[in-house]
Amino acid sequence: MARLSFAEALVEGMRHELRTDDRVFLMGQDIGKMGGVMGGSRGLIEEFGPRRIRETPISESAMVGAAIGSAMVGKRPIVEISFGEFLPTCMSQIVLQAANLHYMTAGAIDVSIVVRTRIGDGPYRGHPQCYESWFAHVPGLKVVMPSTPTDARNLMIAAIRDPNPVIFFEHMWLYHGVREEVDNSPTAASLGKAAIRRAGRHVTVVSTGWMVHKALEAAETLAVEGIDVEVVDLVSLAPLDIDTIASSVRRTSRIVVAHEAWKVGGIGAEITAAITEACFFDLEAPPVRVGAPHHPLPMAKPLRDAFVPDVNDLLRAIRQAMAT
Amino acid sequence: MSRPNGPGTGEGADLDPSVRIGLLKAMMLSRTLESACCELNPRWFPAEGEEGVIAGAFFGLRDDDTMAPHYRGPFLAYALRGADLSRLVGQALGKANGYARGRALGFTGPAAMGIVPWVAGDLGTTIGVATGCALGFSYEGSDRVTVCSFGDGTTNRGDFHEALNLASVWKLPIVYVCQHNQYSISLHASEVLPIEQISVRASGYGMPGLTVDGNDVFAVHSAVRDAVARARSGEGPTLIEARTYRLGGHWASDPGGYRLPEVQDAWRDKDPIPRAVSELVTSGDLTQHDVDSMWDEVRQAVDAAVTVAKACPDARLEDIGANEVFADVSEGMSALRGERGEPWLA
Ligand SMILES: Cc1ncc(C[n+]2csc(CCOP(=O)(O)OP(=O)(O)O)c2C)c(N)n1
Ligand SMILES: [Mg+2]
Repeated sequence: MARLSFAEALVEGMRHELRTDDRVFLMGQDIGKMGGVMGGSRGLIEEFGPRRIRETPISESAMVGAAIGSAMVGKRPIVEISFGEFLPTCMSQIVLQAANLHYMTAGAIDVSIVVRTRIGDGPYRGHPQCYESWFAHVPGLKVVMPSTPTDARNLMIAAIRDPNPVIFFEHMWLYHGVREEVDNSPTAASLGKAAIRRAGRHVTVVSTGWMVHKALEAAETLAVEGIDVEVVDLVSLAPLDIDTIASSVRRTSRIVVAHEAWKVGGIGAEITAAITEACFFDLEAPPVRVGAPHHPLPMAKPLRDAFVPDVNDLLRAIRQAMAT
Repeated sequence: MSRPNGPGTGEGADLDPSVRIGLLKAMMLSRTLESACCELNPRWFPAEGEEGVIAGAFFGLRDDDTMAPHYRGPFLAYALRGADLSRLVGQALGKANGYARGRALGFTGPAAMGIVPWVAGDLGTTIGVATGCALGFSYEGSDRVTVCSFGDGTTNRGDFHEALNLASVWKLPIVYVCQHNQYSISLHASEVLPIEQISVRASGYGMPGLTVDGNDVFAVHSAVRDAVARARSGEGPTLIEARTYRLGGHWASDPGGYRLPEVQDAWRDKDPIPRAVSELVTSGDLTQHDVDSMWDEVRQAVDAAVTVAKACPDARLEDIGANEVFADVSEGMSALRGERGEPWLA
């Protein structure tokens, strides 16, 4: 057992695969001697050298294209886009190439790549855009967002081994803010499974990334008032584990979905629609969504704090779900 | 024109003394203003040492031209267009008095200033927008021009290549200035650029490309002036690579341990400001006393701006403007919203 931060656990996951599989390599900006943005690849250059840990020019589209091509010839690249805000610069490669190649070639080609990127409001306060739902919309991409160090490591391993393109979202607030004991047996988590982080009887709260921790905090507050909240960590946005959510909702008969991305068109919209289809007659109250308001993310701290959904927004939403 | 970082290239010797003095003062303002922002905001981007490129590129443009400054050292362009210095400092601090009212921490001013702002962090896309301003000028058949600067690392973005090709095909009135400070965060140019001189890329787009000593503000400015004249007369774009060095960290609190101290020291000795001072004092255009009073004037202006900005409240919640995402259809379109103010160094 070792007590690891989220960032250290991510590095552990990559290190494990780099050690055991020479096909695995990492490319990105400032991932070498600087140790990665926010320490996201610390120690890897020292152990694996510049053949495996490859510094790139600021050429995101070429980086993702090159990852796809090297996967086509049997490699297992991890390509790092420093921040989620830069994903639009390589969108064609991800959405049209990586997502389509396997299907369009009738299975002749596997695109075993991981695109890792940092998102979310955090101590860094830079480039925090949360575009994850765009990728969940596109068939052929797997989309994961861990919320704990153990998941960070084991999902990274799973993402690297998966024969499909996996878009891996790392929330910046978790990076150095969350630590836990992580066991000594790195294993591939199974992609596409949600996790129940707290069992409860009255209401299901589904959330992602840093928002999971806010949901757990809200659950403790409400427990005092006698409201027993079940917290589901989505973990995977694609495939979406509707079964786990639906069976929770069948028990609680209420659902709140919360994420940091814009509420309009966010993954919460898909979840509430799918749950409404699956559990319409089990629901005691309309689903409630929590997400960012529909304007661009402002930069100054007070404006940003008002923009990013917080524990109070969650408390309000859960109480609303409990009111009917 | 290809004499990077010689000790005084002699280029720009034909510049009028008033222009040479203006360039010096522009560098002083850029240094003082950006350093103040770095002191107040550890996430600001130090431009120390790169002022020769910044001032050389944007000084002396016409009022109706457009500027698209690199994100490192953007405020001189705004000051040249009459921005209130305290509002610029406020902007860097996310204060309510900033031009963007806290929405963008970076660099935006009224449209009337004619400056391509930074409203997101994705490098390279502003080059396309700047090229579009030049398209507008070409389209209207005017002789207005755009000057656009960006980092060496940014020239590896596809957007750079697409924009330069387009500008050349359409002979757009734009001057591209690469503020080549040799680094992209921790990566030295030699790790990410297979060529010594970025200016050679110009030949691939069929436009002139030249390399100048970025720490010689007179050399930079005379190259830009010639390229601007070329653009104005309809002959199309030019790529100017101005070679300098990032004396500070990537951001103000970046210790920058990935660099060699002896190289840094050598570049400190080539600081563009003392270089210009010594040329102007030697030529007799300025006395040391003149130089001191120029510093005094600039420092006083910046100190006053900092005092005002610091006293200003943080960005206000009502400025979040949730209902201002779209322009009001009933107001029609305005390309020149906002006031402009008295230009600094007018
Ligand atoms: C598309 C994109 N990729 C990566 C980044 C992260 N980033 C911010 S500044 C920077 C270095 C830019 O180098 P350069 O263009 O030389 O400008 P300099 O910082 O040296 O002034 C990088 C990689 C970004 N902002 N945008
Ligand atoms: Mg640079």
